Formats: sequence, C-alpha cells, structure tokens
Amino acid sequence: MMLEKLISILEKSAAAEAVSWLRETVASQRAEFQQRPFYYAFSGVSRHFDKKAGIEPTTDDLAELEKEIAGFTVKHWDEFRLARVILLIVLGEQEKSTFQETLDALLNTADLREQTAIFSAYPLLPHQEDLIESAIDGLRTNIVDIYDAIALDNPFPSQHFSDEAWNQMVLKALFIDRPLYRIYGIDYRANLPLAEAMSNLAHERWAAGRWVSPELWRSCANFLTEQIVEDVARVADTEEPGQKEAAALIVANDDEGKLDHIRDKVKTFLDDVADSRLTWNSLGEQL
Amino acid sequence: MRFFDSHVHMVSRTTDDYQRMAAAGVAAIIEPSFWQGQPRTEVGTFKDYFNTLIGFERFRASQFGIQHYCTIGLNPKEANNEKLAEQVMELMPLYICKEGVVGIGEIGYDDQTPAEEKYLQLQAQMALEADLPIQIHTPHRDKKTGTIRTMDVLEDVGVSPDKVIIDHNNEETVRDVLDRGYWAAFTIYPHTKLGNERMFEIMKDYGAERIVVDSAADWGISDPLAVPKTAALLNERGISVEEIEQVTYHNPLKAYGQSGQVEENDWEGIEGIDPTALFEGNTLLRGGMDIETAMSQYLIE
Repeated sequence: MMLEKLISILEKSAAAEAVSWLRETVASQRAEFQQRPFYYAFSGVSRHFDKKAGIEPTTDDLAELEKEIAGFTVKHWDEFRLARVILLIVLGEQEKSTFQETLDALLNTADLREQTAIFSAYPLLPHQEDLIESAIDGLRTNIVDIYDAIALDNPFPSQHFSDEAWNQMVLKALFIDRPLYRIYGIDYRANLPLAEAMSNLAHERWAAGRWVSPELWRSCANFLTEQIVEDVARVADTEEPGQKEAAALIVANDDEGKLDHIRDKVKTFLDDVADSRLTWNSLGEQL
Repeated sequence: MRFFDSHVHMVSRTTDDYQRMAAAGVAAIIEPSFWQGQPRTEVGTFKDYFNTLIGFERFRASQFGIQHYCTIGLNPKEANNEKLAEQVMELMPLYICKEGVVGIGEIGYDDQTPAEEKYLQLQAQMALEADLPIQIHTPHRDKKTGTIRTMDVLEDVGVSPDKVIIDHNNEETVRDVLDRGYWAAFTIYPHTKLGNERMFEIMKDYGAERIVVDSAADWGISDPLAVPKTAALLNERGISVEEIEQVTYHNPLKAYGQSGQVEENDWEGIEGIDPTALFEGNTLLRGGMDIETAMSQYLIE
C-alpha cells in the first residue's frame, strides 16, 4: 500500500533514526490521533531529517507509484516533503471533520516547504473535491516552489480543475517560465479557449519583441484555427532553438491538411517525430 | 568579520538596512516575536505575523544573503489581554517546531502582572515540551527585580539555565544572570538601553563567556548596525578579536544552536555576504551614505 511504499523509498537514503522516529509517529498517531503532537511531528520533520537531502527512488519505485495513481511521482522530492506527505496520509485516515480542521490549520500556518508537502499530498488524500479551492488559491502565489508543487508532476489539477482554473494555471506557467511538459494532463486537458489564449499570448510577446516558448504551442496542436495556422507558419520560420521542432510536432499531428503548406519548412524534423525521437516531452526537456 | 545579530525586528526595517547589514558582515539574524507597537485585537493578526516571520521576512532577508531565523512567542505586553493570550497559546504549537524556529521568545515580564507570569510559565513549559531555547525580554521598569523573578519562575518550571538567553541586561543585572548559569545578552540601543562604551566596560569586568551582543533594532530609533559597530568600538578599545567574535557570533550561535535549527553551515558559501558579489556596480546605500561612512560613526550613545 501507498504509505508503506513511500516509507520504503524514504528508507533508501534517509538516516535510520529519522525513519524510525517517523514509523513510531505513524504508529502512535494511527493508534490514537492527537492534534498537538501531530502538529509537532509535521513541522518537526525538520528536526529529524536532513534539510538538504533529496530522496533516491529507483525507476521501479516510480513505475510502481505511477501504476497506483496515474501521474503521481516523487521524482523531484526531498526528505522533508516525503516524510510530511507520509504523515498527511495518516491524517487522511482520520474522521472527516478532524482531517479537514487539522489540514486547514496546517495549511494556514505552513512555511514554504510545508506548503509544498501539503499540495504534493493532495492526490493521496480523501475528500479531494473539498481541496480544489485551496489548490487554486495556492497557485496565486508568487513563490515558484509552491506553484510547482501544485502544477508540476501532480495529477490533482488535471483530475479536478475546471477548464477556467486549468487554463489559468497553464497560462501562468508560461508567465513564470515553468516547463509545460511537467504538467500532468497537458495534452488531455487542452481546449479551444486555452489554445486561443496561448496564441494571443504569443502575439503579445511578438509585439513586444520577446521570446515565445516553443512549448506554448503544445496546447494549440488540436485547435488549428485560422490564427493558429498563421502562427505555426511563423514559428516554422523562426531560427531559435526548439521553434521549428515545435512547428514540426504540430504539422505531424495535423491530419486535415491545414498545415500542408508549411510541411517543407520543417521536413528535417518530421522524421524525428515519426520515430518518436522528437516529442513534446523531449522538446520540453531540451529547453 | 562575520556577525550574528540574535535580536532584531526586521519587519520594521527597510531594504536599505538589509543592504547595510550585509555589507557590514551580518551573516545571520534572529527575529523574535514581539509587540508591534500597535496592540493586536485579533488572534488572526498573530497568525499572519508568525507567518511573516517564517515566510516573507525570511525570503526578504535571503535576497540580501542574510540567513533569517526567528523565535515564536507571546510577548509580555499582550499577555495582559487574556482572551487573546489564550488563543495565541493555542496557535503556538503549530509554529514552534518549524524549520528555522530557534526558540520560544521573546517572553518575560513587562509590568510584572499575574497574567504576564501565567503566560511566562505556560510558555516555559512549552519550551520544555519541544526542547527549545528560551529568549527572555527583561522589563524596562524595575529591571533588576523583574530579571531575578524571571529566573525564579523558569527554575520552578524546570528549565535549564543554559538553554535560556536573558536579554536587555545592564550593569545591574549581569552578575546574577551569569552566576545562575544563564546566557547574558546585551542590547546596544541608542539612548534608552545601552550604549556600546558601557558594553566595553562590562566586557572588561566580565570577559566574553556566555555574553551576547545584539541590536534589538525595531520601529524605534535604533541601529541595525549596532553589532558590527560595537565590534569596531571594542576592537579600537583593545578587546581581543577572539573575544569580540565570541560575543557577536559564536556565543549566540551556540546558545540558539541548541534548537538544532541553526548552524554555521547554513550560510557557509552563501553569495551575498560579500557585498561586492551582491551589489556589483552599485553603491551600497540608496540613502546616499556608503558603508564606510555608516560604520565610521560607530559610537552608540
């Protein structure tokens, strides 16, 4: 089960005493949940684990987690985050009112790293429909780590957000230079208003003489409006890293022939797309 | 020389202060929870204040290459608003074990009322429970009695003196505080507390052991450079560099390091402590006074 699996991942690199403290805390809180000791434990993770240490999950670990909950990963986490998420799973096992009241108090008083842990735990918690508002509110932050905890490598938004909230999140990613390929569900949740907003954003940036991320076009691939067709032609002519590749990815995806007139401009990349050497993900990683 | 100012209220200070502090060598600071001048009427404003101390202020300091820590507590003045005090006591457990919280503080007496005593006791117990150092504010009025009474209360609760930093000492209180095994902190604060020439005299008599120098700079006429300026004055008057480093850096680090939440490692190699790295090509002070000018007037009366 999830909790045991996560502890076993933490155990691979964290200090033995820290992990045994966590195990004892989990056991005693499961036997009888007590709010104040839970507060101490949740923040007190910083007193037991190494504040600078990341975790070391294996490829198999990550595959197992992904199998359990699609899109869920601990790949970029540190010890603090994982230990706190484990405690939050225990909180999720409590009665609904205790769970909600305690989670609320934790979130309202959380420091930066605690907030990232709380949002990272959302896909593992119960009563998720009640967590949507706070996730949307969390995205209003100016702090990149908090934005990342919600928007990147987290299946919660794609599963729960309305189109409006989703679109705001994806647009903001471009404003604060976050990698779109790490937004889980980025293709599946694409929609026409988002594609149009993306195109408008590109026009705004072009007008200002500013750089437009090639990743921006990913959300436009299935919405080839007149304006977007023109945009793709412009992107195919842009001599900057990743631009022609982005155009090639859209051209390859177009089975209605709307982009046939620019096929020649990007043909060197179409073979790469055909044999999956070039994908939106590989392009995002490159940037 | 690097400095650790273990008492400074940065929420009341400007970015100019941060720039000058970094330029003068202040590597790390502790911001105690305190009264904000305007009395609070709701517990929510305490929550947001604590959130600021662990959040935005820490971030602001980091932009200048300064490591920011804090102590969490209900100050004695506001302990007299009992209804509010109760609610703050319920809030504190959410904060005291957080990363970078190096103690419970600043707590103690102001008017020396029964309510102040009650919350001093309760918070001392909380510090015991969480195994945290305590930062003590000693009262301005009737200081000596209040200081001794504070130590009596702490000892009744069972707190070990070596985990307590008693602040705002003067010539009248230092003997008792050191004799009973506490850390004795001195606030160099112009006009109302202690000037740094007096600090020199105190160090001549008591040396450097368990002595701490801080600025307690806040919203009043105070000096965020009090620690580096005092170091400069002590140096000029012939106190050894080793002893100066002890009172302005190593001692507060050792005292609050008992929390396990602050260590030298936290700022080793951080860019920005070297002001030329952070403020390249810029004059240090937007206010016009460069750091040499600011530091040349290091006598604080």
